[in-house]
Amino acid sequence: MLERPNVIKHYRWHMGTWAWVLHRITGLALVFYLVLHIWVIHNISSGPKGFDKVMGVVQAPLFLFLELGLLGCVLYHTFNGLRIMIVEFSKEGCEAHKMVWGAMMAVAGFLFLLGGVPMFVHFLHSIAG
Amino acid sequence: MAEYTFRIFRYDPEKDEQGRVQDYTFEVQEGWTILDALNHIKWFIDGTLTYRRACRHGICGSCGMTINGKNNIACETQIKDLGTSTITIEPLRGFPVIKDLVVNMEPFYDKLYAVKPYLITRTPPPTDRERYQSPEDRAKLDGKYECILCGCCTSSCPTYWADKNFLGPNALLKASKFMLDSRDEGFEDRVNCIDDKHGIWRCHTIFNCVEACPKELNPTKGIVELRRLMMRGRL
Ligand code: HEM
Ligand code: SF4
Ligand code: SF4
Ligand code: FES
Repeated sequence: MLERPNVIKHYRWHMGTWAWVLHRITGLALVFYLVLHIWVIHNISSGPKGFDKVMGVVQAPLFLFLELGLLGCVLYHTFNGLRIMIVEFSKEGCEAHKMVWGAMMAVAGFLFLLGGVPMFVHFLHSIAG
Repeated sequence: MAEYTFRIFRYDPEKDEQGRVQDYTFEVQEGWTILDALNHIKWFIDGTLTYRRACRHGICGSCGMTINGKNNIACETQIKDLGTSTITIEPLRGFPVIKDLVVNMEPFYDKLYAVKPYLITRTPPPTDRERYQSPEDRAKLDGKYECILCGCCTSSCPTYWADKNFLGPNALLKASKFMLDSRDEGFEDRVNCIDDKHGIWRCHTIFNCVEACPKELNPTKGIVELRRLMMRGRL
């Protein structure tokens, strides 16, 4: 018997596969951010020198740009997390999971624009001088 | 009539170290299913091709396989509906391959037996009639009993690929069928099996099983219903 057969074609991804893979990626990204966040709050309270060091990092254009990604991760993870809870706890959520996902992503997308546009403008200012 | 190429996974345990791909190209008739194409190959082109089938109308559950990267039963998959002129056919993944498209379903049945897929009762039945079940209680089992044990769901489950001890969507759907059956009194007999890190709590609601099921059942629904049942019991 062949325990590990070679695969000709990858198994097809559908909405649920994407939703789960993105959830794990964003979840892990948030864990990474949490470490960074602890570094920030640890150093920021250590006096003027530490404060300047931290600000040098978090006000750098690259960081401002990456914060857009952070916003995206937080919004996706939160709203897909809510979708999972709705699927788990509501009566019809399991059958309508694609619709629930669509609705959640619409809210997340709206909030991303709401928060992301000012953040992006701020980023543009930072590279302009 | 249109020409199609079938890229089929082949493995002969007596000759091959690994699986290989064999192409068959021929004209397919209007209305043919994947099973018709496999039969055509076996009967007229290459008699060594091995696959399971019996009923050829979607009731025995023998012909589950991965077609163009998605699980389905061959006898209910219309070739035309796939929309490609090259079609890949692979054995159900997640299970060891015995030969060509035939996989070892033992691990699948073991999970099924583990949840005790039969009515368990403690009280004796009435002597003058069958055990009564109201139409409402009976309706709760819709979408839970129609399973044909084709294996498409468990074989499509990423959680099962990663954890071969996971009971999988099929066994958990079966468990939900009996645990939510108003006549069943076997809660105690099944609870330790499903309320386990390889049981209901393992599922990540990826819905691959729902996409795969040829009978359009919703194993994920059975799983979340069992989770709710367990949570209610704890509160
Ligand atoms: C409102 C906030 C949040 C909600 C609603 C939420 C929701 C969820 C849910 C429902 C799951 C289970 C997913 C599954 O079954 O596969 C999960 C997994 C996870 N979450 Fe969150 N979460 C939130 C915030 C966070 C934060 C702040 C972090 C990081 C520090 C985080 C990291 C993770 C990780 C690493 C996983 C595991 C991913 C996986 O199993 O695929 N989450 N989250
Ligand atoms: S919903 Fe659960 S059981 Fe179904 S494929 Fe996904 S992880 Fe597996
Ligand atoms: S639940 Fe559906 S996919 Fe799974 S074994 Fe039963 S019929 Fe096949
Ligand atoms: S041959 Fe019976 S289900 Fe396909």
